Amino acid sequence: MQPSLQTSCWGNKLLQQRDELLSILKQRVKTYGYKQIQTAAFETYDLYAANPKIVNTDDMVKIMDTSGKVLVLRPDATIPITQQIAANQVNVNDDVRLFYIMDVFGYRFENEQKQRTQAGVEYFTSRTPTADAEVIALAIHILKDCGFPTFKFEIGHAGFFRALIAQANLADDQIAPLQTFIQTKNIAEMAEYLATLPIDETLKQAMQHIPFLYGEPNQVMEEIKQHGLNGMVQTELNYLIDVYDSIQAYELTDQIVFNLGLINDMDYYSDVIFQGFVNQAGKPVVMGGRYDRLGDRFGAHIPAIGFAFDVDLLFTAAKQHGLVKRLSLDEPITIYYDFQKQKEALAIALQLREQGYAVISYLKQNDLQTIPEMGEQIHYGADQPTLYQNGRAYPFLDVSDLVKLLQERGN
Amino acid sequence: MAEFTIAVAKGRTADHSIRLLNSMGVTFEQLTPFSRKLVFYSSDETIRLIFVKAMDVPTYVEKGAADLGIVGKDNILESQADIYEVLDLKIGTCKFAVAGKPGQQLDAFQSLTIATKYPTVTRNYFSRKGKPIEIVKLNGSVELAPLIGLADVIVDIVETGNTLKENGLVVLEQVESISTRLIVNKASFALKSLAIQSFINTFKQSLEESTWNA
Repeated sequence: MQPSLQTSCWGNKLLQQRDELLSILKQRVKTYGYKQIQTAAFETYDLYAANPKIVNTDDMVKIMDTSGKVLVLRPDATIPITQQIAANQVNVNDDVRLFYIMDVFGYRFENEQKQRTQAGVEYFTSRTPTADAEVIALAIHILKDCGFPTFKFEIGHAGFFRALIAQANLADDQIAPLQTFIQTKNIAEMAEYLATLPIDETLKQAMQHIPFLYGEPNQVMEEIKQHGLNGMVQTELNYLIDVYDSIQAYELTDQIVFNLGLINDMDYYSDVIFQGFVNQAGKPVVMGGRYDRLGDRFGAHIPAIGFAFDVDLLFTAAKQHGLVKRLSLDEPITIYYDFQKQKEALAIALQLREQGYAVISYLKQNDLQTIPEMGEQIHYGADQPTLYQNGRAYPFLDVSDLVKLLQERGN
Repeated sequence: MAEFTIAVAKGRTADHSIRLLNSMGVTFEQLTPFSRKLVFYSSDETIRLIFVKAMDVPTYVEKGAADLGIVGKDNILESQADIYEVLDLKIGTCKFAVAGKPGQQLDAFQSLTIATKYPTVTRNYFSRKGKPIEIVKLNGSVELAPLIGLADVIVDIVETGNTLKENGLVVLEQVESISTRLIVNKASFALKSLAIQSFINTFKQSLEESTWNA
């Protein structure tokens, strides 16, 4: 069995690097005013089993408690957070901004642990183009912070396909294949399948154009007009344009394309949806959208928009792009001291830690000093205190002297 | 530096794909029928062609090791790769089928034992039908399995039906039609949108012209 990052042993360098990546994410969302939230790992099965189903119940990891009640391991982050917000009677006007780093579980995940770490935000606020643009801008900002040189965000609308399909009057099991064909841009099989469906010819034509309504927003809008699609989905399109105009104010439009063939498997999305790609990763590293009616399921009307990064995918992509090497990885500095110098040595250890250095200290057992070829050691003995750096000796006077030496090697 | 990478399987698919690329004006000078190299650059160095095992083409494309791939639908279905499937090349057409001895009734079996090279396709098909099955995964000579009692029936790709016939088997049920497809990595489609979309369009044109002339 491949050891996964979550369970691999302590001191694992990858785990430290992944943590560094998470702190970049955390730092950025905090600067947009988000507060952290955590929900329970075990939840009641009923939360997800109620009709219409929000997640695939077959995919959930289930456990029975001692009284025979069925529990599930958290299959999604957005649903339990929304439930909490609804239970706390949060008002629409409260404008709540939350972020989380949580594991979600499901049999669909290919790793042995059946779990993935998600890091995301949920912004509970009324539907406005400016709020939606801010959330998309934040997702882009995070990818920039991580150091990815190129990336693209696809923006679509959950209501687009729904509005078109509503006119066709089809059953759910007839819609499902269509959805798959659009998601995979499989025009050839879609045309064959559409031919078997009892729907209007104009609508069939319209459906076949959906997968390639993709690219630069103005050009996509032009194509929509050409195919006469705009009449059917005017409200959705107008809203998308408004969001796009707002993103323009952030000067981020270079990274944005429209993808009206975008359909998210999570049914709760109601309006704008988006996903972000970096080079080489075939799956989006971040996905999100607006879900204005999810709160209604829990008895509270609280519109919201959010996104989630797939942390493991993001980390793998960061490694492939050579970005994790640039993350600072503090190897601890070791201090060896004579018993007579204990006080001075521990004082300097404390001062170094105050400045953010990682320090380990030992009482010297004998006089034999082995000077390592790599790394840093500080010796407090009978002579002047000395810093050994990559095999070379640098005597120093006090802590400010020492910090200067450490910083010089840092640059 | 190549603009993008195309993964293809050596053999008929590759020959056909390269003919199509040639008719688009993309040529590979170093490519000869006997070359054992696995990586080739087009003469203007804009396209890198890599040769991989057919079953691995969807994986290369899904993971972004290649931006595009040319591969049979059978391998796409089996790998369940998350990719775009943008063109049907209408070559290599055949069918996935359940085959067995003449007169066999699938419904007569309480539970079927099925020999196949395609366990995922088989499992998906029978779970849609709600039929319990047991799978014996083989890597070749699948037709042998029912004859020597290793399995009740087989699921395999059937082109002419000659191999089945010679081994005394017949098609019992059609599962799905198969042909060669052009597939695209989702991130590449987003990040190299213009280059890839224009490639797809030219490829489509030369495909239509070649069927026209055929």
